[in-house]
Amino acid sequence: MMRRFLDGLYLAAGYIAGAFLVIIFGLMMILSVGRDFNINIPSGDDFAGWSFAAMAFFGLAHTFKKGEMIRVGMLIDQFSGRVRQAIELFALLVAGGFIAYFTWQTSKLAYDSWQYFDMSTGVVSVPLWIPQLSLVLGLGTLLIAIVDEFVIVLRSGRPTYVPEPPKSVEELVERVAQGGGV
Amino acid sequence: MTLPVLSIALLGFLVLILASGVWIAVGLGLVGLLAMWLVTDIPIGQVLATTVWSSASSWTLAALPLFIWMGEILFRTRLSEQMFQGLSPWLQWLPGRLIHTNIIGCGIFAAVSGSSAATVATIGKIALPELKKRGYDEKLSIGTLAGSGTLGLLIPPSIPMVVYAVTANVSVLQVFLGGFLPGLLVMALYMGYVIIWSLLNPDKTPPRDPSMPFVQKLRQSAKLMPVLLLIAAVFLALILGFATATECAAWGVTGALFLAWWSGTLTWGTLFESIMSATRLTCMIMLILAGAAFCTAAMAYTGIPMALAEWVKGQQLSTHMLVLALTCMYIILGCLIDGISMIVLTAVIVLPMVKEAGFDLIWFGVYLVIHVEMAQITPPVGFNLFVLQNMSGKDMWMIAKAAFPFFILLNVAVIIITTFPQIVLYLPKLAFPD
Repeated sequence: MMRRFLDGLYLAAGYIAGAFLVIIFGLMMILSVGRDFNINIPSGDDFAGWSFAAMAFFGLAHTFKKGEMIRVGMLIDQFSGRVRQAIELFALLVAGGFIAYFTWQTSKLAYDSWQYFDMSTGVVSVPLWIPQLSLVLGLGTLLIAIVDEFVIVLRSGRPTYVPEPPKSVEELVERVAQGGGV
Repeated sequence: MTLPVLSIALLGFLVLILASGVWIAVGLGLVGLLAMWLVTDIPIGQVLATTVWSSASSWTLAALPLFIWMGEILFRTRLSEQMFQGLSPWLQWLPGRLIHTNIIGCGIFAAVSGSSAATVATIGKIALPELKKRGYDEKLSIGTLAGSGTLGLLIPPSIPMVVYAVTANVSVLQVFLGGFLPGLLVMALYMGYVIIWSLLNPDKTPPRDPSMPFVQKLRQSAKLMPVLLLIAAVFLALILGFATATECAAWGVTGALFLAWWSGTLTWGTLFESIMSATRLTCMIMLILAGAAFCTAAMAYTGIPMALAEWVKGQQLSTHMLVLALTCMYIILGCLIDGISMIVLTAVIVLPMVKEAGFDLIWFGVYLVIHVEMAQITPPVGFNLFVLQNMSGKDMWMIAKAAFPFFILLNVAVIIITTFPQIVLYLPKLAFPD
């Protein structure tokens, strides 16, 4: 029950991020085509930038769970079993601590914007706390995912973000296509 | 704490934290926190939140997911088969014959994709088995693929170029334009090497495929026309200044969607997959950029980058000496970490230094990207080596050896663009005369 809820949460946040990618695409196309027909989206560039921030942060938990966050694996891949479990727990603890601090600081930023009525400076004036909220929610979901993984590693010793090695060429090609490396 | 002690402490902390498997973005953020905690009294958290917010909500960066998405869509078309079929009839006469399809195929795919791994995987999927079947030397075939795949990074659009442009605060468009001619240069170097190798080893090149009539050749290649048109359109839009990088990327996505629809490979399933893949890759890169943005801001408070830049200036090094020193550093780093991290980790320190030394930042971006290319094919963590290892079933060292001549050729390219910086700067100057 809990498992399904959490996985659903990460995936839902990932879908929101994907939706913002489509929004950026739509905005840019309307701006580009619209220029010739005198159609304009007021503050279109601002909206594209905010959509980008929303996309980048909402998708974090999903990306993390899929094992696509980069880290230096050369040294830690030499270890397995108990030692590896301890290393993973340490990495998760450090990451969790930092992301928790990060989430807290971005929520302070959004709260201050809300309290002091900070508005964007474009043609359309938007209260800044609205786009800033995407940072807080995205990082918050990532924090939940990290805590979740910490519990998983503690119990089973194996994180879900370390993928099994690919079994066939097709699988590898597919995985590269899925964003497994630049 | 004196500056040298502080620098060594921070560097040691960074190495320790990265080696213990902490994600790179988090490592960068922590170094920033430590630096600020040691040297300043200003509220650290506020600097963290505001620098990340202003770097993430930037309109320029919106080009990044769109270019990634464009490549993801094209990856899911039948481009890889069409590439081999379309190119092979025309390259039979060159010494080395079909090996050249690897280089030109990667070059063409590089012009629609910003990723080296995707380029290798797409072209290699078909070319590797086809070349093996025809009896081509496997070492040369794997080596050319490893080397040419890296063109995905040098020939725009390019993911590391967007990352560099954002970190160095220069125009994405100009860095893109700077990559075109060096990209062609690297292709020429690779093809020259294959030609010379084949002339020296005539017994290792299998005979020609049966020749086909001219009309049939054209018909086979006709399938490549749409993608060539898309490349030409994106290139023209960039150089004539019709569009900003972000708009150009949006048009690229439209073109890619059209191509996929036209070739019958656009389904709801592939469309959905392409969106989610592009999203994940973007999120991964953006978190690193966020960490780097904060780390850069924090380091500015310590004064280390400026002091180092002053010191380098005081050494009165010649351009070539400085480039040599940086090249050595980047080759070593490239063996240990991936390209994107290499750019952002060094940017804090190296950018003020090269600015002080009078380098053009557009030129430096292209130079850096060539080093990222090398990083893809140097063991033990070159990503192209890893991809090819899995695709060919050979061991890592054999592949690294096969790729070694192409690593040397990339170094030759670095020497050439250092001696003739115009190769990089010609197109950006043409499009932006000021």
